[in-house]
Amino acid sequence: MKQFIARRIGYSLLSLFLLSVTIFLFVRVTGDPMTLLVEPGARPEDIENMRHQFGLDQPLWVQYWLFVSSFFTGDLGQSFYYRTPVLELYFQRLPNSLLLAAVAMALSLVIGIPSGILAAVRVGGFWDGFGKTFALLGLSLPQFWVGLVLILFFSVYLGWLPSSGSGGIAHLLMPAFTLGWYFAAAHMRLTRSSMLEVLGSEYIKLARLKGLPEALVIGKHALKNALIPVITLAGINLVVMINVAVVVETVFAWPGIGRLLYEGVTFRDFPVVQCVVVIGGSMIILVNLLVDLLYAIIDPRIRLES
Amino acid sequence: MASRSFLTTRRSVLALSTAAMIGAHRHAAAAVPKDELRVGAHVSLAPTWFDPAETSGIITPFMLLYAMHDAIMKAMPGNAMAPCLAESCTMATDGLSYALALRKGVHFHNGEEMTAEDVKFSLERYRGAASNSLKERVARIDIQDPYRLTIRLNDPWPDFLTFYASATGAGWIVPKRYVEQVGEDGFKKAPVGAGPYRFVSFTPGVELVCEAFDGYWRKKPSIRRLVFKVIPDEATRLAALQRGEIDIAYSIRGELADELVRTAGLTLKPAVGSAPFWLYFPEQWDPQSPWHDKRVRQAASLALDLETMNQALTLGHSRLTGSVFPENFEFFWQPPRPVYNPVAASKLLAEAGLARGFDAGEYFCDTSYANIAEVVLNNLREVGIRVKLRPLERAAFFKAYSEKKLKNIVQGASGAFGNCATRAEAFVAKGGTYAYGSYPDIDALFAEQAVQMDLAKRTAILQRLQQLVHEKAIYAPIWQLAFLSGVGPRVGQSGFGLIKGFVYTAPYEDLTLKGQG
Repeated sequence: MKQFIARRIGYSLLSLFLLSVTIFLFVRVTGDPMTLLVEPGARPEDIENMRHQFGLDQPLWVQYWLFVSSFFTGDLGQSFYYRTPVLELYFQRLPNSLLLAAVAMALSLVIGIPSGILAAVRVGGFWDGFGKTFALLGLSLPQFWVGLVLILFFSVYLGWLPSSGSGGIAHLLMPAFTLGWYFAAAHMRLTRSSMLEVLGSEYIKLARLKGLPEALVIGKHALKNALIPVITLAGINLVVMINVAVVVETVFAWPGIGRLLYEGVTFRDFPVVQCVVVIGGSMIILVNLLVDLLYAIIDPRIRLES
Repeated sequence: MASRSFLTTRRSVLALSTAAMIGAHRHAAAAVPKDELRVGAHVSLAPTWFDPAETSGIITPFMLLYAMHDAIMKAMPGNAMAPCLAESCTMATDGLSYALALRKGVHFHNGEEMTAEDVKFSLERYRGAASNSLKERVARIDIQDPYRLTIRLNDPWPDFLTFYASATGAGWIVPKRYVEQVGEDGFKKAPVGAGPYRFVSFTPGVELVCEAFDGYWRKKPSIRRLVFKVIPDEATRLAALQRGEIDIAYSIRGELADELVRTAGLTLKPAVGSAPFWLYFPEQWDPQSPWHDKRVRQAASLALDLETMNQALTLGHSRLTGSVFPENFEFFWQPPRPVYNPVAASKLLAEAGLARGFDAGEYFCDTSYANIAEVVLNNLREVGIRVKLRPLERAAFFKAYSEKKLKNIVQGASGAFGNCATRAEAFVAKGGTYAYGSYPDIDALFAEQAVQMDLAKRTAILQRLQQLVHEKAIYAPIWQLAFLSGVGPRVGQSGFGLIKGFVYTAPYEDLTLKGQG
């Protein structure tokens, strides 16, 4: 088991290292941020000054070393655009993203899981068709379009909800629904397929043969097992919701991390992009590591095979 | 062509659906406090913009500086360099010093009185755009008394006031004692200035709240609270304006602006900034290139149907000045207005031996303005100049442009601050960042003006320089871009267009809500 844990942690660290190199190089490949921080025609000395101020005149390996070492000291540098420590910016936005992600996740689970179960239990029926249509729309309708339609209908036309910003529950409803629908669709599809697989298994047949009530068969015996992959996916989706709800947060002017990332990309704010991607990536790596370890604890075959 | 561009972008599809849906319904108004004005900002507000010392040479920070701070001199209605915190600024006859007489009784938001120490401190502390130029040329600052000081230069510098009191933050005054007390970071978190509105709170990515400063020297602002709400998406900004959640929405571009105009109660407010657009022919110095022939460059200019393009893309509000120098800049010379004459363009091409037109290679532009490029391409094709569109992402475009890597035709633009001399330095004179070549007579004039302290003579030289730029057809000017914004029904005086060349609403103390003074 110890060997298994050590190997998984090693893989995680390697992933983190590769992620840091990739994002470090990728943001630099996109171009010089100074051209976006000054007007075209600005004096070359001003551009040079700024480049020096942000350390962009240093060799690439020095910049990478500073980036990596700053990660260990907990200081991920200063935003080019905000001139504020990026970690401060990140943590300022984090509560908003957590709130949005939590509500969107709750919506996606509340909608996705029951509709997935219903679709699996009534395969080929109305609810299955309805669920599939719901999932198809949720996955294929662009979030920016859904968001704008909601704004136009609920804000401009009906006047019930504020069009954008943050502050109260009313501000949260439309962005949470827009974000949640996409993930509800994904959760619905996975719940459905997972339930179908479990419902066809031998132990479910046995449970039915024993004469257990159908509600008990589905609710207790089938659902418990079918939910394992859904919960795993939901965990990873939650990290994605927190860190990269870029479109939803931009359309609804929601001050979260997704919008911070959008601003970082727009202004070539290397430290911001690096910070968001590395922290987001770390969260996903951590979640995966925990899931792997939990699987190994739950299922001895996994640790023995490895 | 404009309509093709219009239909092929995601923004356009959005705009159409937005327009269709909004247009069908009346909007429900949101409750906004009676004495509060809400501005929907198109960009995220950066705390660095609260501090004049950090002004980086873009216009956006001035959106906030005009609210929270004040300057020795600044652009005001009817005067591009109006005395504000200084009652006068007098240049010595030798051009080596500037004497400032400060306004007495001006107070910062924390109650401290502004003195010469603050002015000296602000200039010395300044580290934004052109700070090196200022520091290299300013020899010292002598304080005579709390209200009088003299800025001494190493050598005469005719553009000193352009740099000090125009669009850099060097002439914007912060309280010395307070900055020293709270430190640089503390100042950005709780800025104190001498402007008409004092800082109340800032929530990053959400809003900035300011409150009227009753002790403002010029006048007491009539609107009590000013709230800048960050709404980055254009369609959402328009929806917020429709719903009455905000009173002013910055940057509503062509497609949505059309809808704004059609919405009852809302008003479109165009403001022409200092950003001319143009076509540049980097191969005009290559004798092998068709662009070497002035007639070909003139033909390209005559082929541009600018009026139609202006109507289609900026609802007719951009200014067709015919120049690459902003018309609101000091020393501006007005060339003849651009003419659309494809017949004359074809004739000029024929005279240049290109009667059947020619393949002119590639047309480089910043992707953000590819809609302009598509119209231009069609216009050029109509007279036989065939080019392929090569839109580049903004940063990549300006990098390649400044590194002189682009060929054939470049669609350029600049909103940099300064005057016609500084603009010529970057785009026309030998060695300019964006000049791929130069002409000896223009270079001679440029060198001559740089040391000329007599304003009338310098004006004449710089105007002659601009005339040569026009005559040599170095550029084919497009327009000076209009920045379109929307204003809601509660607003009395919106402040748009009061200050020439300034695209945001200002001066804030002049803004009113209907039913107020």
